[in-house]
Amino acid sequence: MSEKREPRFDHRVALVLRFGAFAAFFVMLTGVAARVLFDGALPPRIELVGVLIMLITPVVRVFVVMTLFFRGKDWRYGWISTGVLLILLLGSIYGIGEH
Amino acid sequence: MLRRWRLCRECRVTSILLIVLGLFAGLIGALSGTGGGIIITPMLALYFGLPISQAIGTSLVAVITTSAASSSVNLQRHTTDIRLGMTLELATALGALATAYLVGYLNRTALEVLFATFLLYGAITILRKGGKTEDELDEIVPGPSSESVTLPQYAPKRYPLGMGASLVAGGLSGLLGIGGGPIKVPVMYLFMGVPLMVATATSNFMMGTTAAASAFVYFRRGDILPATAAPLAVGVFVGSLMGARLSPRVPHKWVAFLLVTLMLYLSAHMFVHIIGKFL
Repeated sequence: MSEKREPRFDHRVALVLRFGAFAAFFVMLTGVAARVLFDGALPPRIELVGVLIMLITPVVRVFVVMTLFFRGKDWRYGWISTGVLLILLLGSIYGIGEH
Repeated sequence: MLRRWRLCRECRVTSILLIVLGLFAGLIGALSGTGGGIIITPMLALYFGLPISQAIGTSLVAVITTSAASSSVNLQRHTTDIRLGMTLELATALGALATAYLVGYLNRTALEVLFATFLLYGAITILRKGGKTEDELDEIVPGPSSESVTLPQYAPKRYPLGMGASLVAGGLSGLLGIGGGPIKVPVMYLFMGVPLMVATATSNFMMGTTAAASAFVYFRRGDILPATAAPLAVGVFVGSLMGARLSPRVPHKWVAFLLVTLMLYLSAHMFVHIIGKFL
């Protein structure tokens, strides 16, 4: 059943990715422009926010996919998505690799 | 005062150079279908003086950027198999997380040798294929104006094999800061019975999550520098969009030739750099 396509499902996931990519792009662009034009502590903070938006975008995408599967009562893929989300959270929250 | 002004001037020049590098890598990556990571990591290590682990971490941000930009287009065309992608992501994310953790304990020179060898292997593989890169798989995909395509009926098979290959691809992504597409696409197409168009789109879809799994580890370790990653990602984003538009008009052989030349040059330079450490 993997070849099954739901246009509304695809559209919603695409929207999350597009919004995340464009938001991160504009925030990072603002930070870079600020760094080129001015000095100070603000430009690095803006750049950091942009990078964080970019890093969080795939996590939000997995969360949205998981929610859509559960709402559609597609339990198998809902739990698979939960597993992917847990792996992502393991790296981000518990800081594996810190030393 | 004068010293500070000079330092800031250097920051500005570096930011502009990083945008140019990102633009170039994004363009070549989109035209060749390999992503930009394979060019970005060695360039950052060799010409921007970044330790290899920081170069890999920064490159992962570029991989996420490319994936998010291209996946949204593929999803609108309905060429991405989300169910297959999510299943294989379990393995890629796990592999990426494990190797990102290991990188912190690996010797920097060993990592450089590994990357230089991978570059050399990649260049030889493209040469052996006669200049064919992943992008040629996309020849049957209609342009961005088209909302969807007609897909042949298929049912993915040999999931254990796909999961194993995805684990390796994820491991390489976390270890070298690349997307892992050259492993995932052939496995999905040749062994799992997935159409090429779907395999490429699904691989792009998975790339962002795989890179994010290891990027968080790199970020927490301080191996992602926002001052480097932000201008680079800005360039990559614009370059990827330009590459996607130019792709149908640029001869693939020329792009493959440029990519192979670059990979061979960067590999040779990295080996010289490594040997220089011991002399």
